[in-house]
Amino acid sequence: MGIFLKDINLKGKTALITGATKGLGRGAAQAIAEAGGNIIAVGRNQTELDSLAVIIKKLKVKYISFNCDVNNYNLMKEFITKLKNLDILVNNAGTNIPESFLDVKESSMETILNVNTKAVFNIAQLCANQIIKLKRKQGSIINISSIFGLVAGQKRTVYSMTKFGVEGLTKGMALDLAKYNIRVNSVCPNIVLTPRTKKYFADKKYNKYIKENTPINKVVTVSDVATSVAFLASEASSMITGTSIIIDGGWTAK
Amino acid sequence: MLKKINLKGKIALVTGAGKGIGKACAIALAEAGAKVIILSRTKSDLDKVSKIIKKTKGSSKSFVCDVTQLETFKKVLKKINRLDILVNNAGNNRPEHFTKVTQENMEYLTNLNMKAAFNVAQLSSQKMIKSINRKKIGGSIIHMSSQLGRVGCEGRNVYNMNKFGVEGLARGMAVELAPYNIRVNTVCPTFVETPMVKKFFKNKKFKNKMLKKIPLGRVAKENDVATAVAFLAADSSEMITGTSLIVDGGWTAQ
Repeated sequence: MGIFLKDINLKGKTALITGATKGLGRGAAQAIAEAGGNIIAVGRNQTELDSLAVIIKKLKVKYISFNCDVNNYNLMKEFITKLKNLDILVNNAGTNIPESFLDVKESSMETILNVNTKAVFNIAQLCANQIIKLKRKQGSIINISSIFGLVAGQKRTVYSMTKFGVEGLTKGMALDLAKYNIRVNSVCPNIVLTPRTKKYFADKKYNKYIKENTPINKVVTVSDVATSVAFLASEASSMITGTSIIIDGGWTAK
Repeated sequence: MLKKINLKGKIALVTGAGKGIGKACAIALAEAGAKVIILSRTKSDLDKVSKIIKKTKGSSKSFVCDVTQLETFKKVLKKINRLDILVNNAGNNRPEHFTKVTQENMEYLTNLNMKAAFNVAQLSSQKMIKSINRKKIGGSIIHMSSQLGRVGCEGRNVYNMNKFGVEGLARGMAVELAPYNIRVNTVCPTFVETPMVKKFFKNKKFKNKMLKKIPLGRVAKENDVATAVAFLAADSSEMITGTSLIVDGGWTAQ
């Protein structure tokens, strides 16, 4: 910590990350651990939770994992209400099934809405209550949103509906939790190259669509997003709440 | 995974660096390792800032410059070899009710907050583009905007007009400078503990009214803003362009 420069330092803090096995969640866990934070990883794949354990433990911070589907409210509640340490939530678990509006199936709409909206709300509420119960003097909640929480994209009606919702939730939560000094923000990345989006990038037409819409001629990396998450999690951003860090190479500036 | 806020080897220019936010930014950038070129109208202020930077083992060079004097600013640019980062900070405010704003104050504020901001940004961009490896090493321009570049406030109509303008300028510049890998963003703070705001806050009724509008219940500190600026200046934010980092404790989330 300098005179005017605050480091991204999370020593002694504990962060719960949902969807921590792959992609952005896994990256966020790693970045937070690199900044000194302890990790509670929630995911559905035991092999990946175990392989993440190896990476995190090398960074000399504490690691626990919980193999659970975020849709399972009762199990998540039982787990979160028993936590002894919690300062940060990275509300990351999410999904997408791209379909044109007219063809969206009832089942895909329900699946996306359940994970991206209902589970996001429930996990946030459970964690906020726990942070308050533990009498932490400060907390930070980061919802993983998307540029499609700000603008529309092709075959993304349901995804946009859920992510615009997350943007609204972020602002509402920020107001209700300000008196507990719990800050709430979102990060809105452009399409990031992750295991889930790999298949989109394989499509030449889609690749062109992304390139043409991103003024900075690069793809957003997991590390780009994880760094912003760690920044928002730390006291480096102690006056930032109720807003979004947009990591899109200029997509939404046009 | 975590990209630290590191500016080693970078050259940064900060306008309005003699006091308040500009001073904090200059020192923070130096703390992150940048060589800082500081501009202000007041030599004694520059000397004080240089002294602090020297104490923290940073490097700086100062120029007495009123940024509304285009020719003086051009001369400063001629004296430096390279430019990687611009913090376009010089600005002012003279709060008056819309019906009472004098022509003189409107002209003064608009010339400084908009015209000079545009000119300084244009000339600096031209300088940045001249580096042949710019596309590889990237560049970053940070405009000092305000929460009042996002929402209205009583007695702030000219300032609102100016800062909303800066928000627009930043987006346009981001799109046009993306091919050179120069990123352009703004920082939008709420009231910050600066000499300028301390003057406004002598009016206790005004102070309490403003504090009530900040959900976190406190004004921003200079290091909150300076850290956000350093984050945007560094490769920590290498895919962030054409957007704003809002450091307002939740003011604009409402």
